[in-house]
Amino acid sequence: MYESPIREVLVEGGKTYTDVSNDICRPLENKATKGWWIGFIVSALVLALWIGATTYTLMTGIGTWGLNKTVGWAFDITNFVFWVGIGHAGKLISAILLLFRQKWRMSINRSAEAMTIFAVICAASFIVSHMGRPWVAYWPIPLPNAFGSLWVNFNSPLVWDVFAISTYFSVSLVFWYLGLIPDIATIRDRATTRMRKFMYNFFAMGWDGSARTWNRYELVSLILAGISTPLVLSVHSIVSMDFATSVIPGWHTTIFPPYFVAGAIFSGFGMVLTLLVIGRVVLKQEEYITMGHLDAMCKVVMLTGSMVGLAYITEFFIAAYSGVEYEQYAFINRATGPYAWAYWIMMSCNLIAPQVFWTKWARSTPWFIFVLSIIVNIGMWFERFVIIVTSLHRDYITSSWAMYTPTWVEFSILIGSFGLFFTLYFLFVRYLPTINMSEIKAILPKKQTQH
Amino acid sequence: MDNKNKYWKGLEQLNNSPQFVQTKRNEFSEGLPLEEVINEKDFELSSNRRDFLKFFGFSVSAVALAACNNAPIKNAIPYVVKPEEITPGIPNYYASSCGACSAGCSILVKTREGRPVKIEGNEESPVFKGGVCASGHASLLNLYDIERLKNAFVSGKESSWDILDKEVKAGLASAKNIRIVSGTVNSPSVKKAIADFTTKYPSTKHVVYEPISISALIEANKQAFGKVSVPGYRFDKAKVIVGFNCDFLGTWISPVEYTKQYSSNRRLTKDNPVMSRHIQFESLLTITGSSADIRMPVKPSEEGAILISLYNKIAAMAGAPAISGAQNIEKAGNMVETTAKELWAAKGASLVVCGTNNLDNQLLVNAINTLLGNIGSTIDFDNYSNQKTGNDTEFATFVSEMNSGAVDAVIFYNSNPAYSYSDSKSFETGLKKVQLSISTSPTWDETSRMVKYAAPDSHYLESWGDIEPKNGYFGLIQPTISTVFKTRMALESFLRWCDNNTDAYSYIQNYWKSTILPLGNGEWNKSLHDGYFIIPEKAAQVYSNNASLANVTNTAYQNYTSNKDKVEITLYSSVAIRDGADANNPWLQELPDPISSVVWDNYLAISKTLADKLGIEDNDLVNIKTKKGNIEGLPTLIQPGQPNNTASIALGYGRMVKGNTGKEIVGKNAFGLTALVNGQVSYILGDVTIEKAGGNRELARTQTHHYIEGRAIIKEASLGDYIKDPLAANHDHHGNLRDKEGKLITLWEERDAKGHKWGMVVDLNACTGCGSCIVSCSAENNVPVVGRQEVLVRREMHWMRIDRYYSFKNKEGQTSTKEKDIHKNVTDFENIKVAFQPVMCQQCGHAPCESVCPVLATVHSSEGLNQMTYNRCVGTRYCANNCPYKVRRFNWFRYNDNEKFDFHFNNDLGKMVINPDVTVRTRGVMEKCTFCVQRIQAGKLKAKTENREIKDGDIKTACQQSCPANAIVFGDMFDANSELVKLLKNERGYHMLEELNVQPSVNYLTKIRNVEGTLLEQNDHATAKHEEHKAEETHTEHN
Repeated sequence: MYESPIREVLVEGGKTYTDVSNDICRPLENKATKGWWIGFIVSALVLALWIGATTYTLMTGIGTWGLNKTVGWAFDITNFVFWVGIGHAGKLISAILLLFRQKWRMSINRSAEAMTIFAVICAASFIVSHMGRPWVAYWPIPLPNAFGSLWVNFNSPLVWDVFAISTYFSVSLVFWYLGLIPDIATIRDRATTRMRKFMYNFFAMGWDGSARTWNRYELVSLILAGISTPLVLSVHSIVSMDFATSVIPGWHTTIFPPYFVAGAIFSGFGMVLTLLVIGRVVLKQEEYITMGHLDAMCKVVMLTGSMVGLAYITEFFIAAYSGVEYEQYAFINRATGPYAWAYWIMMSCNLIAPQVFWTKWARSTPWFIFVLSIIVNIGMWFERFVIIVTSLHRDYITSSWAMYTPTWVEFSILIGSFGLFFTLYFLFVRYLPTINMSEIKAILPKKQTQH
Repeated sequence: MDNKNKYWKGLEQLNNSPQFVQTKRNEFSEGLPLEEVINEKDFELSSNRRDFLKFFGFSVSAVALAACNNAPIKNAIPYVVKPEEITPGIPNYYASSCGACSAGCSILVKTREGRPVKIEGNEESPVFKGGVCASGHASLLNLYDIERLKNAFVSGKESSWDILDKEVKAGLASAKNIRIVSGTVNSPSVKKAIADFTTKYPSTKHVVYEPISISALIEANKQAFGKVSVPGYRFDKAKVIVGFNCDFLGTWISPVEYTKQYSSNRRLTKDNPVMSRHIQFESLLTITGSSADIRMPVKPSEEGAILISLYNKIAAMAGAPAISGAQNIEKAGNMVETTAKELWAAKGASLVVCGTNNLDNQLLVNAINTLLGNIGSTIDFDNYSNQKTGNDTEFATFVSEMNSGAVDAVIFYNSNPAYSYSDSKSFETGLKKVQLSISTSPTWDETSRMVKYAAPDSHYLESWGDIEPKNGYFGLIQPTISTVFKTRMALESFLRWCDNNTDAYSYIQNYWKSTILPLGNGEWNKSLHDGYFIIPEKAAQVYSNNASLANVTNTAYQNYTSNKDKVEITLYSSVAIRDGADANNPWLQELPDPISSVVWDNYLAISKTLADKLGIEDNDLVNIKTKKGNIEGLPTLIQPGQPNNTASIALGYGRMVKGNTGKEIVGKNAFGLTALVNGQVSYILGDVTIEKAGGNRELARTQTHHYIEGRAIIKEASLGDYIKDPLAANHDHHGNLRDKEGKLITLWEERDAKGHKWGMVVDLNACTGCGSCIVSCSAENNVPVVGRQEVLVRREMHWMRIDRYYSFKNKEGQTSTKEKDIHKNVTDFENIKVAFQPVMCQQCGHAPCESVCPVLATVHSSEGLNQMTYNRCVGTRYCANNCPYKVRRFNWFRYNDNEKFDFHFNNDLGKMVINPDVTVRTRGVMEKCTFCVQRIQAGKLKAKTENREIKDGDIKTACQQSCPANAIVFGDMFDANSELVKLLKNERGYHMLEELNVQPSVNYLTKIRNVEGTLLEQNDHATAKHEEHKAEETHTEHN
């Protein structure tokens, strides 16, 4: 592969193929570090909180939450959209950047895809737990059944959601697993204990590393990338239609699909940054996930943050331009009503804060990037909260206007869902290579040969 | 109906010959070959149909039992002999009379399989015309109150009636001074029984005690006209009605009767734009004041002075002498002068009523009505009312007699003075001195806990009884269930104690046959069937007023001047709880107060200015100090419409009931603050100190935003504008969005309705906001009670609500309905306008809820209904979010058999009230108003079995059936002759949020206030302005 001398190398440190295998397999093959144990146990404890609070909800009823007759969704769907959004970076990196042949994606796509899958698991948990009767949560799936002629309502965006999320999850899982196979085979080959050999052998699905296998692997990767690409756009577009197809002022907005996709990529990259800024240090992968990667991702964050900000402002303009009093009130209420604090958190976190990435310093200071990525995540959570709660709590009939106050159960489930996410992530870090070894080997800088 | 069959069974069907129709009705044209089946040798039966049915029935029930493993049926005992009139699944209706208060409305009791499940109005009653109030509906639930006494009790221990009777009789025989203390007794038979009792025990005196008394009114009538009675008021004959602190639509004497009369003059059409004019002077904001065309906020102490001024002004016009020494006072906008003119212009057809229990003021009102010639027209002493006949002085005398030891036996019947008497301490000490004390209270209340013998009265739904609410109007009460517990009708108790072993039925029947029915050639069976018996009304006579007004002036003016800058509190009875007798009724506790929308609490409703002065905010706890007593820790609510320096507190709260709903402390008892003034209990507290107590208690309210924000949710115009333009305030602003047929443009295909299309019209001009429909709906549709905590988080389950909106006048004199403007530009929080709007599911043609449900749990019916399938619901709540009217209710918890919701759905007895036609919803599903689909089905079924088409009026929804104001009309939009279709053509009709084009099936009729002419000044100019503006808009559209 030709490399321009002025372009920054994608992998630093003059790695050889052996170095790559050693570096990336080290966290899997060594004894678990103290840091990993602490992280894992803390995550597992937070997961226990999630299990407790979710079980309590399932046993007692949604009444344990702060919802009411006017505000029927709040933390539940906020969390759902938040987690689905988080998942978006993974798909974007693995599919769209693959198609655009962005080689820098190779050292981050594995963890981003893992993140996607775990985030979708978190999101799916909210679909089930927000239902009044979760024991019949499978009813929105068009299954042949013995109930008579019962079928689902294909007009309902919630049914579209079921398709979108399940397709998204299954394609992501297959794509991620496919990419893992060569690496699992590498680990299999390096494994020393019988147990490891057996397990990795099983999951390597008989990978033999032959040219023909590689050829098929590449082909399938490309096909899956092709399938995945529309999903990047479709999933969050459909999630946004949960709101856009309604009649509620503040929800009924045609701008939602692109706005939600941009927001999802924004939050997804925020989360990737959060994980990688820490992960690259802890797993000693600074040479693979270089400052160049962070820099590129910061730029994406800044771009999508600005797109989202533009959407916020456009919404206001459209509300004013529409002349619809309910629509106008909904937006005035967002900015000045009882939940204005949430709105201004959203505005400052999503529109204003990422603008610092215009400066080189901000893009090249890891601790600062970390702080910013957290702010982005907070901002994006509030975006969904603002859209859902402030639109619902004051809609058409003023007599029904109400306030929503979350309960400890909802806070526990929100915090607990991070426990679920990080427990899975820590297990992933411990048992699977976080960087795609086989792909990274292809983009190693050529040894400078002396002439 | 058209014969739509395309294929006929034969020419007979095509021709529809009578013979064919006859044979078609037999399911099996040849009859069943039963003989053959039975004659088989194995059965060895000689034959008969009954045996076949036995075998058949046995096998079916055996299969059914075998299949029922999962849900064993508890205590289902079949009829051994099937009662002739009971068919399982078919309701029976029995005419009776309501026993919830002394108004005694005629009702129909719906029973299913031998248990009463619903109270409906008896539409044939010429007095009550099918209306029932919220308390009446809710009284049904008292029957199934698990806290009722289950047997006779002696000294607090369960005993038997034999022992009780023996001891009571022995006690009575030796007693020298017996008293019967009762609430209003307007039952002729009970009166007779008490008379019998008095004959047997001649020392007996009957003291009538009403906790919320109107005895001043009766006393004034005695002084003025020599009539010791409440007259029959004729609000329907009155063209001008002036009320002084009189909530005649809500709680005063006979609210259902008065609302029926009142609302008959509030219905408008283009061709007959006539309505009564109603001016209300009042201190606390009532639903009557809210319905009034003009409401003047006045301090309680001003009432006398205003009445004097009003009298003098009318006297001047009538050429009668003015009251000497009187100086006239005037209210803003010359309202006293205007009112006098209005009244005089309608003399003979006007009516002044006053709800204050103050003799002077009542004498003045009598004098004004006399001047106006209303006696004998709108005030009828010949068809007088027997409702509420308490005598405050007599009761006070009784208490002092007890304390002096003069009374040695007392029977409390239908009264609870230990709770409601102003001086409950002296009552208690007095009662301790009485040797023989008996209470017939059906529960452990404050009084029955103190007496020696508790002889629980049966509920009126399990009793025989009669009632004479108005002179010449006799109602019968018949039992609709056998006594649930070992209780005994008080009537029978009285009879037993005077050694009469007649049962109540024979006693009443004999009395009716001997005394009542001969008054007008009545028949017992017919009366029982009708539920009432009337003798022809007498012609109303004119009576001269002989009362002297000489002593009135000084007191009134002194009152007026000395209280001018002092804080006054009015104690009132709330629409739901009234005197507190039913405080243990969860339906009533959860009925939002029509004005404040508060549930499960009483509170200090305080004027904004006073609250600001004292630094009090909503929900702050306050201590109230009066000369008579104190109340500590009462929450406050800033109440628009409350005049400056005034506040009000509802009576009837703070009951010490053990009952399941009494576990929550329900408010504070304010009866202790009442005092006897000049022989009448006064509910006005002058010179009160209110101070902050620290802390607060958040009041649970079903509505927390009170202004329409300038939205066209409620449309209102003045009568003058309406006469000029029937479309006043109701112009269409969507002209250019309509297609050639005048329908709003839509993306969707029109939905076809087949056969019927159900719709509803709600007349905002008739609705008084009384809340009867809410309780009726809850009873009909098994709506769970959720309690204070859940209402606090806005989760009340009522399928219909009555929204109440305030509007103010801002500094520029324009109507202000926007919160921001109200906070900035409104300083006058006394003069407000109030509008009510009942909101149920609007049954949209293009329902936003339907399209978003992922599982088709809510779908459109072929008759235009928006149906909810509970079994299919998975509980995503998207439908509720997407409902623009926010009428959907979610089952956040399981509300039955749940300790957290310890109301009637939590015990087997309380569950007997469940309407078997309506599913009890489980946790996690959505529910909402169905337009009473079970009634629609029942109506269709009935028409079908009678082989006829549905007639208009066959089907009435629960809210419509008993509406005292006839504000709700339900019907078939395809029935061109229906009342509904006629109303749909009314220019006042509009759809809420029409611009969304969800095509609701509920049509509202604009509110019209009769304020033209001299009163227009009082009305805001803004309505007109607003209308002008909108008129311009329409004009542009036409260009």
